[in-house]
Parts: sequence; structure tokens; C-alpha cells
Amino acid sequence: MQSTPTAEDRIFQVLADPSRRAIFESLTRGEAAVKELTSRFSISQPAVSQHLAALREAGLVKSRREGRSVYYRVDPRGMKPLIDWIAHYRAFWTHHLERLEDLLEVMES
Amino acid sequence: MNPADRTPPSQHATIRFEYDFAHRPEKVWRALTEPSLLERWLLPVRDLLLEEDAAFTLHADPQPGWDGTVHCKLLESEPPHRLRYSWVVGALDTVVTFTLEPTDTGTRMVLEQTGFQAHQKPAFGGARYGWGMFLGRLVELLNDAA
Repeated sequence: MQSTPTAEDRIFQVLADPSRRAIFESLTRGEAAVKELTSRFSISQPAVSQHLAALREAGLVKSRREGRSVYYRVDPRGMKPLIDWIAHYRAFWTHHLERLEDLLEVMES
Repeated sequence: MNPADRTPPSQHATIRFEYDFAHRPEKVWRALTEPSLLERWLLPVRDLLLEEDAAFTLHADPQPGWDGTVHCKLLESEPPHRLRYSWVVGALDTVVTFTLEPTDTGTRMVLEQTGFQAHQKPAFGGARYGWGMFLGRLVELLNDAA
């Protein structure tokens, strides 16, 4: 069971903001331009850009420029620390529950 | 024992195991709740009281970035059927539930660890939300990207 609090803390911290989380969830449905994202939410374009910058810094999204537009998409690898953490727990329980069965065998009823 | 990992493939926010033990629920319950027994299969435990809201700690080996302490709070204790407690490590706040059902041959135990959600810390603006299908969708994205 390993823990990498720094990477997880960073992910949670960035996603703790409801608007930012909504933008991120919206991007999980596909790539979108800043302008398009702004039209989906009732917040200003600078605010959307600021949220996107925070998401990018945390490694959760990637951007590319095309002409005057900047397009954003989810970088699935950004969530890897959290997914790894869950995988660690699956291994942790498998191991420890085998020990539980061994213990039950030697315990008095 | 059939150590079956029943975690639905797209629901990675929950870990679920089902086990069949050839032992009665009362005996399994003791292994889940008596500190000297708990230590022999899970982790050393401190201050465990089977009272609602009582805090206790489990102690794993320290690792870089983590002192090995799991912070728990008892949420539900219904002997010998259901035991539920929070399991908090750093920013991650999960809930572990053991459910015991008597069977013809002994006990069916279901273990679930749910949540994997942000811990209530000032730094997180009091955020607390479940991952649910949201994380499942990301796992699919991750698989597609691999």
C-alpha cells in the first residue's frame, strides 16, 4: 500500500473548485475551445482561462493552439496517481484477506 | 475461500470483494473487531472501541511521504453482521464496510471500500464529493490512451 500524497493532494486541490471540476468533467466528453467552454458555463472567458491554466499546471489537461483558438482536452495520465492508489488498495486487501482466512483456521471457534 | 474481486470494471471508485469462509459469522466478527486478532491479519490497531463516532488508528509501516497511520472513525457496528468505518490516509477519505451473512457452509463476507474522495481540509475549500462514474469515465479514457 503506497501513498503519494503530493500528487493526490494536487489533484484534489485543483478539482476542489466546483467550476473547475465542471469544466474538467465537460472536457472528459471531448476536446473543446475556450470560447466553446465559456458558452457552456455562466462564467467569464478570463475566469475559464484561469481555471484551464490551473488544470493544465496540475497535469490534468493539455492544450493546443489552432489559429486564434486554444483547444483543451483531458490528459488521462493526470489522474494516474489516484488510479494507482486504488490499484494499491486492491492488492492490499487481496493480501490481507488471505491472512484473515489463515487466522480463522487457527482461531478457536 | 473464493477470493473474488467483484469490482465492476467501470466502477473503479469502489473496491469490492466477496469471500466465502468455512466459519461462523460470530468467529469472523471477532477477527474483525478484537485488536489482538485484527493485528494478526490486518494492521496493529490503537484505541478501537465499537462505539459510533469513536476514532481509532491503524498502523502500517511508514513510507516516504506517509507515516503509515490510517485514521479511522467507527460509523456502524452491528455484531455480527455489519462493520463500517472511515479510512483516511492524507487527502483521501474512504469508507470500509464489512458485511457478514450466514451461509450453509459458514459466512459470506463482502468487503467494500468506497469514496476515494477529497478530504475535508481548509486547503480544499471544504470539498467533498464522490467520484462515482466520473472516475470510471477517466479510467476508460486512460485505457483508451494506453
